[in-house]
Amino acid sequence: MPGVALSRWTMSYFAAALAWLVAAEALMAAGFGYPAAPFEAPETLVLVHIITIGWLSLLMCGALFQFVPVLVARPLYSDRLPLPTLACLLGGLIALLAGFLRMTTETGASGAPFAIASILLGAGFALALWNLGRTLWAARPLPLPARFVVVGLFSLAATVLLGIVFSLTLGGLATAAHAIEVTTHGLPIHVVAGLAGWLTFSAVGVSYRLLAMFMLAPELDGPGTRGAFYLGTAALAIAIPGGVAAICASGNVAVSLVAASLPGLAAAGLYGRDVVHLYRARKRRVIELNSRMAGVALAGLGATVATGIALLAAGAFVRHLGVVVFLVAFAWLSTLGLAKLYKIVAFVTWLECYGPVLGKTTTPRVQDLVVEGRAGKWFVLFSTAVWCGAGALAIDRPFIFRLSAAAMLIATLGIAVHLLRTRRLANVAPTLRIPKGVQPPHLLVCRAQHP
Amino acid sequence: MTTYVDVDVRPTLRAGGEPFGEIMQAVNALKPGEGLRLFATFKPVPLFQVLGSKGYSHEARELDGGEWEVLFSPAQASSADEPSPAVAPAPARGEWPAPVQQLDNRDLDPPEPMVRTLAATEAMTDGEVLSALLCREPVFLLPELAKRGHAWRGGFEPDGTTYKILIRIGAARDAAT
Repeated sequence: MPGVALSRWTMSYFAAALAWLVAAEALMAAGFGYPAAPFEAPETLVLVHIITIGWLSLLMCGALFQFVPVLVARPLYSDRLPLPTLACLLGGLIALLAGFLRMTTETGASGAPFAIASILLGAGFALALWNLGRTLWAARPLPLPARFVVVGLFSLAATVLLGIVFSLTLGGLATAAHAIEVTTHGLPIHVVAGLAGWLTFSAVGVSYRLLAMFMLAPELDGPGTRGAFYLGTAALAIAIPGGVAAICASGNVAVSLVAASLPGLAAAGLYGRDVVHLYRARKRRVIELNSRMAGVALAGLGATVATGIALLAAGAFVRHLGVVVFLVAFAWLSTLGLAKLYKIVAFVTWLECYGPVLGKTTTPRVQDLVVEGRAGKWFVLFSTAVWCGAGALAIDRPFIFRLSAAAMLIATLGIAVHLLRTRRLANVAPTLRIPKGVQPPHLLVCRAQHP
Repeated sequence: MTTYVDVDVRPTLRAGGEPFGEIMQAVNALKPGEGLRLFATFKPVPLFQVLGSKGYSHEARELDGGEWEVLFSPAQASSADEPSPAVAPAPARGEWPAPVQQLDNRDLDPPEPMVRTLAATEAMTDGEVLSALLCREPVFLLPELAKRGHAWRGGFEPDGTTYKILIRIGAARDAAT
């Protein structure tokens, strides 16, 4: 029972993720990709993968390298592997983007970059899965939040495998009949596996523990929480392996997606009930900015699900698919991600710097590393801009969408400056900042906490 | 590798019985180098000291439904199996004195429990024991205790929500030298 050390490379993941988020928002503000280009245009694929791999997946990987050990109270299998993992993921993403951009040229020869992207992204995510998988395997039997993460990791594997099949087929390297069928019909499965399975299910698992921890609420593992887990897992099993089987058997994926939506919605409902319970049963009456913004993100998830149901009922789901995907990526995942980043960066920096001297000298509190009042304004701007952007997409106003994206960009830069100030201890009173025995933190690397 | 003899006292406990005799009988029947794998409906903290005094180290793992699996390993085998003695809990040899200070940190915002616990340890002298109640396993505190040379024993109370940790000042440092 050696406890949990600080993850050495998590700050590098966070910095790279934020840089990709800024790039994506700048491209959206410049009118690159959807809605100016069609939903399936190469430009849109560039944008979507910058957001899902560059921003959200790097953020999630960095967070999991730190928090999977917390979930299972065991050390990470390897604290060194995350660096080569990050190098593979960044190289693979750049190759993937190059492949998409080649598709827009006259020759369309994108085989080489797609092959490189398949190898590097496959290797990078395989390394992440191996590291997290070994950590989880050693900790069996797993607590419920960690089981959500396990299903998230299986979904990540499915997303990456489908992505590799797509890119090898589009690059002209795979010509098997099933590969072409899966590429033609399998995009919805890739999207569901990535956004719902990998990113949402993992975030849900981590949120159960982090919300309870930061708000002093009871840990939940009752029948409702188990129900959310089993129904959600069933929905993903029907949608992902079930969907691929349906395509190979009949060339039609719609049946499995419709069948998956019922347990999926039930799981979302149970999760929503748990979240409301966590906020209501908390012992900490005044909650911090990160918990307030997580609340906004969770409300965003609820609103996104409601929007999806309303569009389905109106028969306009397919036409407005872009709105739903945008809301999942920004109103839910990005808002939650930025909120938790704000807490994690402050907490990790505090523990790294002041942990060694706690009790020996006067040290600042975690809250002394942040200025919530000023940071809060950027979070409000971000959320407002996201919903304006979604509205603009829904009523087909590309210029308003670009203005909203510009506002998201400004808000993200504002939040990033706050994170930088936190990491630099710039908000701590100078007399308290560097007591004897404390080394200022490096921006991108956490010093190992091992004895 | 140590071989383990399984003893499941859950049926006895569920029936309201007292499993101590059953466990000690199994322990006395162990051959040299053998360990004991115990299944119980709560974390059997008192046994850790009893079997510790007989030279067994323990490794406790929570199962579903608040039940516990504990591996008691003969001391030599355990030190060969576990390559990181510096961060492992103190070898469960001998009795620890009664705590000189007790903290209830259950209702504090994180990371305040860690701050208060470490502040208390700094004010104590070698060999003294601090007892602290927490609302979760203190995963970030443990490496810091190891770094400062303190030994600890910890686990969830039978209620399943309170984590009680005993910290003995300087004991890991003494063991290492």
